[in-house]
Amino acid sequence: MIAIKNAEIFTMANKNYKNGDILIENGKIVKIGENLNLEKVETIIDCTGKTVFPGFIDAHTHIGIGEEDIGWAGRDFDEDSDPVTPHLRALDAINPQDTGFIDSRLGGVTTAMITPGSSNIFGGLCTAIKTYGRTIDEMILKEEVGLKAALGENPKRDYGVKQNRSPKTRMGIAAIMREELYKALDYGKEKKQNLKENKHFNKNLKYESILKVLEKKIPLKIHAHRADDIITALRIQKEFDIDITIEHGTEGHLIAEELSRAKVPVLVGPTLGERTKNELKNKTFATPGILTKAGVKVAIISDHGVIPAQYLPLYAGLSVREGMDEVEALKAITINPAQILGIDDRVGSIEEGKDADLVIYSGSPFDVRSKVEVVLIDGKIINK
Amino acid sequence: MLVFKNAKIMTGKGDTIESGLLLVKDGKIVDVVKEGDIPQGAEVIDLEGKIITPGFIDAHSHVGIGEVGVGWEGQDYNEISDPVTPHLRAIDGILPEDGGFKSARSGGVTTIMTGPGSANVIGGETVVIRTAGKTIEEMIVRNPAGMKAALGENPKRVYGVMGPKKSPITRMASAALLRETLVKAENYKAKLEKGEKDPEKMPERDLKMEAMLRVLNREMPLRLHAHRADDIMTGIRVAREFNIDLTIEHCTEGHKIAPEIAESGFPAIVGPSLGPATKLETKDITWETPKVLHEAGVKVAIMTDHPVVPIEYLGLCASLAMKAGLPEEEALKAITLNAAEILGIADRVGSLEKGKEADFVIWDKHPFDVHSRALKVYIRGELVQDE
Repeated sequence: MIAIKNAEIFTMANKNYKNGDILIENGKIVKIGENLNLEKVETIIDCTGKTVFPGFIDAHTHIGIGEEDIGWAGRDFDEDSDPVTPHLRALDAINPQDTGFIDSRLGGVTTAMITPGSSNIFGGLCTAIKTYGRTIDEMILKEEVGLKAALGENPKRDYGVKQNRSPKTRMGIAAIMREELYKALDYGKEKKQNLKENKHFNKNLKYESILKVLEKKIPLKIHAHRADDIITALRIQKEFDIDITIEHGTEGHLIAEELSRAKVPVLVGPTLGERTKNELKNKTFATPGILTKAGVKVAIISDHGVIPAQYLPLYAGLSVREGMDEVEALKAITINPAQILGIDDRVGSIEEGKDADLVIYSGSPFDVRSKVEVVLIDGKIINK
Repeated sequence: MLVFKNAKIMTGKGDTIESGLLLVKDGKIVDVVKEGDIPQGAEVIDLEGKIITPGFIDAHSHVGIGEVGVGWEGQDYNEISDPVTPHLRAIDGILPEDGGFKSARSGGVTTIMTGPGSANVIGGETVVIRTAGKTIEEMIVRNPAGMKAALGENPKRVYGVMGPKKSPITRMASAALLRETLVKAENYKAKLEKGEKDPEKMPERDLKMEAMLRVLNREMPLRLHAHRADDIMTGIRVAREFNIDLTIEHCTEGHKIAPEIAESGFPAIVGPSLGPATKLETKDITWETPKVLHEAGVKVAIMTDHPVVPIEYLGLCASLAMKAGLPEEEALKAITLNAAEILGIADRVGSLEKGKEADFVIWDKHPFDVHSRALKVYIRGELVQDE
């Protein structure tokens, strides 16, 4: 048993504690309260004057799949040999030894979603994992949390410009996306019919992936920066009656009402850094606040590989500076991404029964002078 | 009958007879016993305390298919035109006159697995052969002996980086190609079953799928090139999804995930460990890998990957693994009985036991001593190398 004592606890659930204790057993939070009986606890972490948060969740990264300081040998996120690769699985290409994992967990990011890149219109299956472990199989929190897709400049650039092949236009991208969704619908009907008649059916892994989206088992996670691309995503969502999330949503603040009406969550970022592409020209830290005020569920992301996941609270802090409510900013890196990824039964808040993923801070995480002092993942102290 | 007396016999099973007899007849081992009565009429050779071991087995090499001292003319292991070539067969590309076979015999290696390289995600069928013979047919011990496959840097480098932009560019795609081909084989199998009931529905013969079916039906394992721990885990994941047998070839980072490999039950063939780390995925190469894997309960063989490490140094590789902590008898097993078991030929070779083929080597000193020489090498009772 491990206990955290005398901490200011931001649970991201119903009740916060000025001076609270957390009891941890078998990797889970078993009790939260004031002046808990800690007599039988082997390890007590005294947190007098410190703050405790749920482990941060970065809902869109390329940690371990775009390995740092390596080059081509460790670049495994963009399979730009074909714009339609829904059968790929990020899981098969993540190296738990990547430096990015060490930096991220020491920065308090205890859960990360790892996704294929955005070269392809259909990129592959995304996975949610803990940032600590020897093998990816033991790190998995939820194996399939979405199918990555992309609109806008990246597919155009990586195929149209670099390889002189389709897609060359935004029209082409949307057309291919629709075409594949229709093919998968047909595939699904044929499959159902064959199963009904007890006949053998030729399995196709590409359409099996897309079918999961059409059956609303997982959302289509659509990379879209510009407002018009986001609107295209919403149009396709309606046409096929599927769940989607908007990844990046850089111009989301320009169409906040539309997003709110569509009840589509937006994962905003990476906002720190230069505007490397034309579709980023309206990038601002005001976006998360504006969207939240409009009623959109927002997560703040690093897109690690682009900007480091370890500074996730900093990106939330800069969003506060540009108008976002402080509590909402904390939610955007804890409970909101947990809900968006469908893993809030396990992580995202400090509640009894949830995984003991905790970050102990020397002060406010939005203060650049505060430090991460201790990180726990599944009740295990990762650093001290 | 041929009888070798006064010999120190290391059986390959882990035990040693300090002074014993090896009885050979018609290419088979008649018996291995402590010094005693010699059958009448036998030809007797007094070894004066010299050492006999089973012929060594290199469970992963490219002897004869990657000829030594020859350029592109003799390079027949990497068909880099398509990442999925399960229909290729090692036996169609092996030259029995290749100098590699002589090197093998000089190092006491009597059996090898040889076959396709690792450029392709699915490379083709491997073969187990003896290291002496005029034609490949007479050398065969087991054919086909497995389906070569590869994850990690090699397919990515050959197709994604060096060649025209072609899949696989990423590790995701290598795994996807593997899965996709196995699913196609499942579909082909279903069609064949239909065709058996109704000849009109019999599909056209598909040699690629026929080869993959042998994997799917567990007639032979997928022999999977994987260096990095994450690539090894991907291989185990895919093997479990399709319920197929797997051998982990190279297993360079196996020491980092030894319990997971042990739990999978799949064997590891470790090497080539002599020489520098030539690729990023081999950066953590260490002689300790066989020891760590063995202690975790993994069945381990040691390979040269000839010509990466010349095959005559197979014994030296085993001795260096021993120096890093692998027990001596386990180091010997890693190039004899374990290798035979992993290759599925242990009923015939791999140890000095009654009834097995008379493949053995007479050494002047302990074979793990760098001063030692293979004085005589026998394959099926025939002297194939005489110093």
